[in-house]
Amino acid sequence: MREMDLHLSLSARGYSDIVQPMITVRNLEKHYGGKSVLRDLSFSVQEGEIFGIVGRSGAGKSTLLRCFNGLTTYDGGSVQVRGREVGALSDAGLRELRRDMGMVFQDFSLMSRKNVFENVAFPLRIWDAGQSRGTIEARVMELLEIVDLADKRLERVQNLSGGQKQRIGIARALALNPKILLCDEATSALDPDTTLNILELLQDVNVRFKLTLIVVTHQREVVKRLCHRMLLLDKGAGLCLGRTEDLFLDPPEDLRRFADTEYTFIPGGLNIRVMFPRAISRQAVITDMARSLDLSFSIVGGKLERYRDHVLGFLIINVACEHVERVCSYMTDKNLPWEVLADDHDACQRPE
Amino acid sequence: MTTMLVSALNETLFMVFFSTLFSAAGGFGLAVLLILTGPHGLRPKSRVYAALDLAVNLLRSFPFMILMIALIPFTRLVAGVAYGSAAAIVPLTVAAIPFMARLVEGSLLEVDQGVVEAARSFGASDSQIIFRVMVMEALPAIILNVAVLAITLLGYSAMAGAIGGGGLGALAYNEGYIRFRADIMFCAVAVLIVVVQCIQSGGNHLYKKLR
Repeated sequence: MREMDLHLSLSARGYSDIVQPMITVRNLEKHYGGKSVLRDLSFSVQEGEIFGIVGRSGAGKSTLLRCFNGLTTYDGGSVQVRGREVGALSDAGLRELRRDMGMVFQDFSLMSRKNVFENVAFPLRIWDAGQSRGTIEARVMELLEIVDLADKRLERVQNLSGGQKQRIGIARALALNPKILLCDEATSALDPDTTLNILELLQDVNVRFKLTLIVVTHQREVVKRLCHRMLLLDKGAGLCLGRTEDLFLDPPEDLRRFADTEYTFIPGGLNIRVMFPRAISRQAVITDMARSLDLSFSIVGGKLERYRDHVLGFLIINVACEHVERVCSYMTDKNLPWEVLADDHDACQRPE
Repeated sequence: MTTMLVSALNETLFMVFFSTLFSAAGGFGLAVLLILTGPHGLRPKSRVYAALDLAVNLLRSFPFMILMIALIPFTRLVAGVAYGSAAAIVPLTVAAIPFMARLVEGSLLEVDQGVVEAARSFGASDSQIIFRVMVMEALPAIILNVAVLAITLLGYSAMAGAIGGGGLGALAYNEGYIRFRADIMFCAVAVLIVVVQCIQSGGNHLYKKLR
């Protein structure tokens, strides 16, 4: 009800586009040579959010991303960016749309013969429309400050590291003050440390410029660190959609397969996955459980991860059959989400 | 002999310079059309591309001697006369345009498609993409293409002696070979070698500088 009131009062003032989603996708279809590349996708992206499009290579992620700025066409359904149907735009309309949407690429796609300054200045020169040299220079320097590369402005791009090149790519994508930033596997060619660095930068521009980010990636770490919400794609179909934290904490079967957590289970006993949601993640639950039940169990594996600003995770423990019931009731009492992992070596009767 | 060599060198340089100039311009334009309409181009138009492609291949199949003779009426139309160094520029240019078009097409195709896509992603128009992205990125390679073109035209220009084009090739053949003047022949060839060297190293130098 409150949301509706808000909507009404805003529309009354003529600000209805503020509550409109940035991007709305409805029943999107794309075929390529008789093969379905995108199947019946529907979702929307809100202003200011970081939205992840996740999946293995070949899932159609990059194609979906290119539907947003018209770099590729679609065959059915609708893609609306800030209320405008992308497929219906003229050439000029499409260029206007792209001006409002920056894009960052996996292999940086910088012009090799131009220096750092000229690469960042290029979008400004394309749209120069009477901008004086001084304005372009001031804007480029401002952008280079944001990505922390002002001292490299005269360097040729070949002489830069991968992380630096991607910073240039981001500065270039921000040059025209876009509303939306599209990132196509922006960190896939980078090492883990540099990846974190770039993710921090992306998070920073999201907050500073209230920029909407759409992030295509196959890297789980990237989704978890960066994305508020995510869509999992497989063979062009959307498998699940929701808040990243919820999806990874209690992953649907499809996501679990993508997450690809492979552990060698200990034969005998029962393998149980214990999840640590936000409220519990700081407590020493496992040792508490061992102490209060006065029994021991083996740890098969596990992971504590940062989901944006929270530490969350899971642990897989192997419990001897005779203790399974006590352990399970303990976890239920303590409100710990848990599940029994399907396993061939599963020797015990499953608790009902 | 020196005066003969100097005037022949002048004729050769005259023919090569202008035919290179005109065919570089024409070949570049044709290459842009090929790139634009090609299967992975910015405006794919398969029929236009197929027609251009065929025309280029047809012209390139002609032996230069035959083409030169076949073009005599056209040459007379353009240059007013059918013989002499200036007239030779016409068939040289016509023969070299499709050759240059293929060279430049190849260089433009080498440009990283990611860079082209990036330019599209921030709203560059087709002409901005071609001239400010693809050509700029391919410029060093195109310079080398021009050097190859000039050297090829130097070879062709020797045959232009057949329609009275003059030049070092004609000198080496008419004065040197036919009249048993081995010294003239060797000198003419030596000067040609120097010219080829100069063109190629000039091209390489520019390539390194622009890269």
